[in-house]
Amino acid sequence: MSLSLLVPILFNGIGISAIYVLIALGFTLIFGIMRVVNFAHGEFAMLGGFALLFLYHRLGIPYWIALPVGALVVGAAGLLAEQFLFRPLYGQELQGMIASLGLSVALSEAAVILFDVYQRNIPTPFSAVIEIGGFPLPQDRLIVLAVAVAALAGFWLFVRYTRIGLALRTVAQDREMAEAQGIDARATYRVTFFLAATLAALGGELFAQIYALSPYMGATPLGKAFTIVIIGGLGSVPGAALGGILLGMSESFLNTFYGASLAQFASFGAIILLLILRPWGLLGRPEV
Amino acid sequence: MARPAVLAPAAARRVRLWLAAAAAAAFLLVWPLLVEDAFFTHMATLVLLYSIGAASLHLVVRIGHLSLCHAAFLGLGGYASALLTTRLGWPFLPAFVASGLVPAAVALVLGPILLRLRGVYFVLITYSFGELVRLVFVEWQSLTGGSDGIFRIPPPHPALLTSRAYYYFALAMAALCVGFVARLLASPAGRFIDAIRESERLARSSGVPVLRFKVMVFALACGLVGLQGSLLAHFIHYVSPGAYGFAESLNFLVINVIGGMGSLAGPLVGTVFLVSLPELLRGWVQYQRLLYGVVLMAVILYVPGGLAGIGKRTLELIPGLRRSRP
Amino acid sequence: MNTLGRIAGSAALALAVAAAVTVARAEELKIGAVGPLSGGGTDWGLALQRGVTVAMDEINAAGGVKVGATAYTLKMIMYDDQYTAQGGTTAATRLVNSDGVKFILGSVGSPPALGVIAVTGPAKVIALTDGYSPKILNPDSKYTFRIQIPTEYFAPGIARWLRKTYPQAKKVGLISPNDAVGQSLAPIHVAAYKDAGFETVSNDLFDRGMTDFTPLITRMMSRGADVFELDGNAPGDAGLMVKQARQLGYKGVIIQTGGPGVDEVIRVAGPFAEGFLTYDLFDPTEKAVQGFVSQYHAKFEGPINGLSPIWYNATKLLAEALRRAGSLDTDKVRDALEHLDGFPSLLGPVKWDGLERYGVRHQLVHSFFVSEVKNGKVVPVTKVGGAS
Repeated sequence: MSLSLLVPILFNGIGISAIYVLIALGFTLIFGIMRVVNFAHGEFAMLGGFALLFLYHRLGIPYWIALPVGALVVGAAGLLAEQFLFRPLYGQELQGMIASLGLSVALSEAAVILFDVYQRNIPTPFSAVIEIGGFPLPQDRLIVLAVAVAALAGFWLFVRYTRIGLALRTVAQDREMAEAQGIDARATYRVTFFLAATLAALGGELFAQIYALSPYMGATPLGKAFTIVIIGGLGSVPGAALGGILLGMSESFLNTFYGASLAQFASFGAIILLLILRPWGLLGRPEV
Repeated sequence: MARPAVLAPAAARRVRLWLAAAAAAAFLLVWPLLVEDAFFTHMATLVLLYSIGAASLHLVVRIGHLSLCHAAFLGLGGYASALLTTRLGWPFLPAFVASGLVPAAVALVLGPILLRLRGVYFVLITYSFGELVRLVFVEWQSLTGGSDGIFRIPPPHPALLTSRAYYYFALAMAALCVGFVARLLASPAGRFIDAIRESERLARSSGVPVLRFKVMVFALACGLVGLQGSLLAHFIHYVSPGAYGFAESLNFLVINVIGGMGSLAGPLVGTVFLVSLPELLRGWVQYQRLLYGVVLMAVILYVPGGLAGIGKRTLELIPGLRRSRP
Repeated sequence: MNTLGRIAGSAALALAVAAAVTVARAEELKIGAVGPLSGGGTDWGLALQRGVTVAMDEINAAGGVKVGATAYTLKMIMYDDQYTAQGGTTAATRLVNSDGVKFILGSVGSPPALGVIAVTGPAKVIALTDGYSPKILNPDSKYTFRIQIPTEYFAPGIARWLRKTYPQAKKVGLISPNDAVGQSLAPIHVAAYKDAGFETVSNDLFDRGMTDFTPLITRMMSRGADVFELDGNAPGDAGLMVKQARQLGYKGVIIQTGGPGVDEVIRVAGPFAEGFLTYDLFDPTEKAVQGFVSQYHAKFEGPINGLSPIWYNATKLLAEALRRAGSLDTDKVRDALEHLDGFPSLLGPVKWDGLERYGVRHQLVHSFFVSEVKNGKVVPVTKVGGAS
């Protein structure tokens, strides 16, 4: 195994991991705090991608403004979903899951009608290829990696050091106790959903730049989010980060050395084993 | 003055129910003869076949678990039947039986592991398992033909090549399978199933090994949907991995939820609704799936008991079918 | 609508000059279409729909199809097959039984195509279909025609051209989707390349949905591949592979002997698509094709999926066969189709083949091109004859 193979593998692995973690994070938040399995989470990512396409490509808004604005717009849309679709169903896990499935189908098919079905790419301002130590590293991937890491760091700081972040963590641990302390659980749910949708949308924006954007693209990140969250533990934020890194790196390795099918088998096999032996994941909490 | 010969209210109600059932049965038997269009019998046959799988998933729902891999077992049955008839030249009947036994056996072996998990974790592990099985269908090309699938699967009998003929065959099979599930649920075993779902701890105290019982029910359910797999394979004459993935498993689940999970009527109503819905919406091809998603959300939000719940309330409005109140 | 048309037509006849001139009446002829319009195969289903629409609008604007004494306006009735065999069967059943059509265009892709012909065959309905599975055409396929050449026809010619044009290239790397297309076609490419003097050093399958091909590409590069073959990959995936390969520093040849979907590759890969080679179906500079291209862009947005000209062509062939048959009887139309050799079409003069290979001469053979992306535009580089 030569260095010339290792570096691309590492670089690719980290890059894609960061995006997956952004998306999985929102997914695990929604589950951890509201016990909702959000099948439409991939579609938030997809909408983020289209928002960026519209703002940056169609309206010509500068990239560094379009990026956060696009994500925030989708976050706001997420609030609508929370209010009208999920809130009436809190406490009914199964119904919430099926409702999110309906939302997923509705959003992706609406996108097909609005935007046509073919895949497209968002031309980024960064199409150079930078040589670092003899290895060609695409500039857009570097930028995407930087943005993703910054977003994750920002999120962690937020959760750790702000009052809202504290409220989030408290409600996640024990809703009743939190309410007894005077924390408004409902407002917390809204904030959670907004954050989750925004993060997913950001992930989708980054994804759409280095991969491709299409109305059905949400399914892949959702599948990865499932896997990451199982590995890391449903509801655990550091778990999502760990799971994302593990998944991204192992996929990169396995795909390079053993081909895609084996990587897939290994992936599902690992999930099944984990669920059997340690269903709360590596960093989750065992539920009673 | 002689008392008029009137049946007691409960008995009268039962007579009316039987009459209604007989009328429904007569309708089911006669309508294909009156309709020329083979398309309707084709659709009706699909509805009948899917009702088997939907009813079998209902069994799993009744023991308190939501399986997202039901289509994998559908596939195991379909491939078993297809391979045995096309590669080994088996006649239909033994292949059909095998198509029930193979998925049941797999469920029996894996059940003890899978059924230990509950709630969301069970959903996740069945999702992963379903994907794994689909991968096997795709990758094991020498056995399954890979993504190409298996073609020219023969009908169970040369006479069963037309939609109408197959309709009656499917009607008989569906009646048998669904009837079996109904009998099971009405029996003491059925009451135990409900007891397990409602309180597993309490059920355990009765002395019956709960996990083993759940595995038996699970294996039964998977065997039944395997039978559907065989019947479908010999109807469409083609099997391929694409038909046995996550989307299909989700379909079964959605049928149960929208139809209503409280009783067996739920999946039956759900099957009629959801298998024919894409056909009803074919006029607007682009909007078809969009409507599907919207309808799904609407039903979940506004019709919590499922469609069967509405149906029950409507039926109760019919005098004579309402239970008399004390 | 039909009855009304008949009444109006008869009245017109009655009112016409009582000369021995026959007045052609306007009637509607329903043509069925089946294709994936939801789910992953939607690009192709839409391509079919659009190609057929352009052809029908063109035919109808010129007065419709004259079958015997009647000029028919063509009307397409299309149903979604969701890219499954079951969907194909259901759609075809509905078309044949409920809508009463006798001619079906579709489906696209082997699973639904097989589902369709399972219904049309016994019903003696003519199906013009497109799917690479060798099981589509066999001695029993009396009413089934395949209107695009499958891989076994064009791969050898392209491999030979590659050998001639890039004498230093020696090793081929293949990345294909793990489905019916990928599994049956990859071996055909490997054989074709072998015959042309190449060695296949890497042959990987991936599950549809994967977007990060860099590990597989790295794998391929580490084995020294200097020809990167994209096989029957969907246009979007192909575009990503091109982009990712160039970003990884791959300097060899990239070619797609399949598809085609080069417009979308350019959209996805941007400047990295420069030099990309592809199997192509028409020369965009040829005069006959301009008409199609401009008609298409007048009606539809977005890139032209390579399958649209195929279906445009198929519709025109069907219309011509109907005209020559002078009747709607499927046996007569089938015979007319079989005798269309030489008829000028979008893809060149019609030629049927397949007797030796499939037992029935229902495989349309057409010439094709190898095109290259130069300065963001698709430029045909060579034309290859269509014979096997």
